[in-house]
Amino acid sequence: MMEKLNMILGGAQGSGLETTIQILSSAFASSGNGFLADREYYSNIKGRHSYAHARVSSVEIPRSIDSEIDLLGCMDAETLFTHFDDIVEEGYLIYDSSIGEKTQDSIKSIEDPLRERLEERFDEIGIEGTVSSLVEYLEEEKDLEVVELDYPSILEDIQKEFNISSSHASRYVSSILIGAVAGLMGLDEDEVNKGIKRKFEGKEKIADQNMFLVKKVSRMVEEEHGTPLELEGSGLDEEELLMVNGNEITGMGKVTAGMRFQSYYPITPAADESFFIEQHAGFEDEGNVLVFQTEDELAAITSCIGAALTGTRSATATSGPGFDLMVEGLGWAGINEVPIVVTYYQRGGPSTGQPTRGSQDDLMNALYSSHGNFPRIVLVSGDHEEAFYDAIRAFNLAEQFQTPVIHLMDKFLANFVKTIPVPDISEVEIDRGELFEGEDYRRFEDGPISDRAFLGSEVMWYTGSEHDVEGNVSEDPENRIKMHEKRMKKLRIADEEIDDRVIYFGPDEPENLIVGWGSVKGVVLDAIEEMEEDFGYLHFRCFSPFPTEEVSSYLENKENVIAVEHSYSPRVSEVVRLNTGVRIEKEVVKFTGRPIYRDELIDSLVNIIGGSDREVLKHGP
Amino acid sequence: MAREYGTDNWIDWCPGCGDFGIVSSVYRAFSELELNPEETVVVSGIGCSGKMPHFIDVSGVHTLHGRAIPFATGIKMANPGLEVVVNGGDGDLLGIGAGHFVALGRRNLDVLVMMHDNRVYGLTKGQASPTLPRDTKTKALNTPSIQDAIEPSALALTSGYTHVARSFAMDSDHLKEAIKDGIEHDGASFLNILQPCVTYNDIHTSEYFNEKIEKLEDWDPESVSPTEAMNKSKITEEIPLGLFYRDTDTPIFEERIAGQLQGYQEKPPAEQDIEEDGKTILDQQGFKSKFDENIIKKKK
Repeated sequence: MMEKLNMILGGAQGSGLETTIQILSSAFASSGNGFLADREYYSNIKGRHSYAHARVSSVEIPRSIDSEIDLLGCMDAETLFTHFDDIVEEGYLIYDSSIGEKTQDSIKSIEDPLRERLEERFDEIGIEGTVSSLVEYLEEEKDLEVVELDYPSILEDIQKEFNISSSHASRYVSSILIGAVAGLMGLDEDEVNKGIKRKFEGKEKIADQNMFLVKKVSRMVEEEHGTPLELEGSGLDEEELLMVNGNEITGMGKVTAGMRFQSYYPITPAADESFFIEQHAGFEDEGNVLVFQTEDELAAITSCIGAALTGTRSATATSGPGFDLMVEGLGWAGINEVPIVVTYYQRGGPSTGQPTRGSQDDLMNALYSSHGNFPRIVLVSGDHEEAFYDAIRAFNLAEQFQTPVIHLMDKFLANFVKTIPVPDISEVEIDRGELFEGEDYRRFEDGPISDRAFLGSEVMWYTGSEHDVEGNVSEDPENRIKMHEKRMKKLRIADEEIDDRVIYFGPDEPENLIVGWGSVKGVVLDAIEEMEEDFGYLHFRCFSPFPTEEVSSYLENKENVIAVEHSYSPRVSEVVRLNTGVRIEKEVVKFTGRPIYRDELIDSLVNIIGGSDREVLKHGP
Repeated sequence: MAREYGTDNWIDWCPGCGDFGIVSSVYRAFSELELNPEETVVVSGIGCSGKMPHFIDVSGVHTLHGRAIPFATGIKMANPGLEVVVNGGDGDLLGIGAGHFVALGRRNLDVLVMMHDNRVYGLTKGQASPTLPRDTKTKALNTPSIQDAIEPSALALTSGYTHVARSFAMDSDHLKEAIKDGIEHDGASFLNILQPCVTYNDIHTSEYFNEKIEKLEDWDPESVSPTEAMNKSKITEEIPLGLFYRDTDTPIFEERIAGQLQGYQEKPPAEQDIEEDGKTILDQQGFKSKFDENIIKKKK
């Protein structure tokens, strides 16, 4: 038996894969396992290849995924063609035996470069290129255990059993996959059923039909193959786990923080967060969160600012292209000292770039966008737990320092599904900063941090022009100096007061230091555990105000300092150099938009130790 | 004049500017409505009209070019108890901010939009605005404008504004009443205010407007369709002035939100307590029940 399992489950977008993942992950978690899954998909609604790349563990909550997989579950032929080379020797394959004659030529959704790579690969291994020829090769050469299921005939059975139409029955392919995985892993039938009922709450008939099918397939598979992928041990200690993606956990953080207004304009991969909050907008006793879909991102940030002026904790959530449209508004919030939170999920750029793929290329955009100069706080989260507490911290800091806070994350985190312990709310603090009490209010008096009053409680003026303490336009040079200094000094105070802007993991005096932020956290920590050499990891949590002294001290006396980032050239190296003058000489980058896998990172670090300066990672379809 | 709504700031518009007429009508209207300065917010964009808030003794938010409406929208949605009045120019509202102008109509949010319409961009020295008729060459332009003018009232009516009127900056009584009407209307109200730009528009002067203006007579704005109102408001050789359209049946945005978000009207976002002694309102148990769909219990 094994402690952990790596798998890919794939199918065409819109064919039910999401259902498969939700039900299986819920069954994994209720069986006491930790779970982490990357979701890869095209900017497409139906038809293109989509997959979940997961690790399940009975001993820990996984932090990263491997490129090599133990199990490939295919809903269609494209999944097999796309991922077959990633299955380990003696691994497992689930596929539809009725499509044995299918070749890649008949699959229109395969992109030309992959087509060419496949042709080359098939020539190399000497197969004709049908599904069955490939399966045969995998069985013989890689010694795979192949679970052959005739999907159409299974669907025909269920069609007859429940007297449903064939088009209706075709939606049950997702359950065939669930049954096959459940069978191989020996998952408890009750736990799988719980997942199905959870998914199809209120749709009893559909739930029953799915349960019937899953049970049938799972028994079929178990009878023929046993349960070779059963996980060892009784699982994690936690009595309950939270199963969330990054959008959801960030939304939970915002609601917990007391956010009561969120504006957004639909954009991948941020819109799901607003949707999630909207689903949880009401509270039992009193209160609610107003989620507002605006006409564009200009309106998203400006309506957010307007709401914040009334004393409402307000945020907007977006991605790179949307953020670009927001920066003029960001500057207005800066000069008017308005506490807003902009949740920023990076995706591949520039321009439309790779809208459904991940990136860490926008650090400079978050730090330096918008003309002129104003204090801003930029928090970055590396995993789901960090995202939750950062979402809360963002509002506290915004109100304490009366300035915009950008909470920077990425598509990886947004879509990675993970089981985490339920957050401890009792430790969460809400700090609304200095609030005005008294008479004769002037909004910008007694700085650097003035007392805040809300629209509706006092008369006050705001303007995007340089202004005096009352908020009236002033172009007087001495007033300009006074007000500009007032605002910028807040960043200095923030620099003294904000803790934990970097976290260091590793031995006291490591020879080699990795510097990173955001979604590289988990994979870096997992990779350095495997390295023979001494490695430490310096993980950024906040880039503005920049923790200059702390970072400088970590960078001293290291054999190798290596930046690891999802970008063409590490932005973290540029920012570190700007602030400390230290040049980070080495880098491991990946800019395909696919996550960094543990095994490929280990290989690249070995090369860096061997003298390489730059490693470009490429794995993942 | 009702100066109690004025501020000490020197009003730095050009002598003779139509904006003087507008701000003085605002003072009179606010005074007659006895608006509470703390609960009234004037929101403006950029340009000569953008300076309005600094001359009025109620809360003022002088925003970005084109964005007065979405700022105002956020303010009003978070705190519907506030009286929110937008002041924008023709370029501000119908050029750079046209998308927001349309969106506000679709929502029928209870806000008055006062559009200062002098057909030019004054503060940048007289370029053509979206309301300058085609083939017009004001003295500031190098060549006549080759873009057609927008008919603001027609755009407001097709966008869904439920109160659409036109007035004239130099007719203080008419304008004061129009502002009062617009504020008192529940829903999105659009007031197109014609005004001269004495410095850059030598064609559409006070005299020009005075000659062409015809006040509405025998017109019942509540019994007409938007299309009829649109036809009536059309600027031809005559410029009709008055209230073209009033609809009190279409639900306002606040009501639409309340239909979906329980407790919104009783406790809008700005009125909610979000902490108790520095702790969250949502406690551990509350968190678990709120997000129970995401919580997976381990099997026994």
